[in-house]
Amino acid sequence: MRGSTGAPPHVPDLAADVGDILIAASDIRAKVSELGARLTEDYAGRQLTLVSVLKGALPFMADLMRAISIPVQIDLMEVSSYGGTSTETSGLVRILKDLSSPIDGRDVVIVEDIIDTGLTLNYLLRYLRGKNPATLRVCALLDKPARRLVEIPIDYRGFTIPDQFVVGYGLDYGEFYRNLPFIGVLRPEVYGQS
Amino acid sequence: MSDQPRFAHASEAELARILGYYQVDWRYEPRAFPVRWNLDGAVVESFAPDFYLPEWDLYIELTTLRQSLVRKKNRKLRRLRELYPMVRVKLFYAKDFRALMLKYGRIDVAASMTGLPGQVGPGAAVDADRRSASDDATRSSAPAEHRRARRPVSAPVRPG
Repeated sequence: MRGSTGAPPHVPDLAADVGDILIAASDIRAKVSELGARLTEDYAGRQLTLVSVLKGALPFMADLMRAISIPVQIDLMEVSSYGGTSTETSGLVRILKDLSSPIDGRDVVIVEDIIDTGLTLNYLLRYLRGKNPATLRVCALLDKPARRLVEIPIDYRGFTIPDQFVVGYGLDYGEFYRNLPFIGVLRPEVYGQS
Repeated sequence: MSDQPRFAHASEAELARILGYYQVDWRYEPRAFPVRWNLDGAVVESFAPDFYLPEWDLYIELTTLRQSLVRKKNRKLRRLRELYPMVRVKLFYAKDFRALMLKYGRIDVAASMTGLPGQVGPGAAVDADRRSASDDATRSSAPAEHRRARRPVSAPVRPG
């Protein structure tokens, strides 16, 4: 969750709060289809498990799994976020929701909405490697490399985006805007940076 | 804790907290790279990036300085890259750090960086200026004693 310690300064206005549409819904659909086709081809005849990270990746996961035409299992994880609560600046990252099923011997693809610093994903990769999957890859809808702190191999990449505060298609600010069907740039005045 | 480094800026302490939270091994200013010498061969200017991430062999420099001082740092960074092409350094500007704080909901910290362009805040800006002015021949022999690994720090930054 982004912007979680401070509530949005006003009741969100989904239309007015977004300045520009960075990626239109139709472009997202096309990219998801393309990624699904690639995964279908790459994992043909194998045991694919998609692991999505709550909450932002949910729309992407839901669409991506339906764009894959081989048998696929899904699972969900949730990881605590730095600054998510007042106690989350002094502790360590925690698994809030672990996998429901074992993944040892399976081909696993982590499905992420956005890779920014790479810190969460780096932690997840380390954690999931410990569960002995046959393979472990990363599929991210959005790659924002400008603020990357740790280098993460992205095997399936949707869009590379500039360093802007984006919302929509699962991405939030203060838990809102996730239901927008497109990726938009949040107006700076919404998060008090104008 | 006794092995905590003394951070030059609140932003560095905050980044250390973030790295520690996500269990990323880091060192604070473990090495200074000489970038200018006098005719006698003595180091007169060096560059000590703020953080080193051994797992990625990557240095991170956080700069929350005024634009005029950023230019000086950019020059030193260019010099470092010329002299040490194998050394990987990533520079984080004030705007990058503000965006990082927004990402993590640290709106208070982000807001504290908007008072003066490119600065954490008035107090930190003084430190930043002082540090830049002496940067960094005196730090070139700093031992790699400031190190933390996979633990959070309790540096005096504003709570979340």
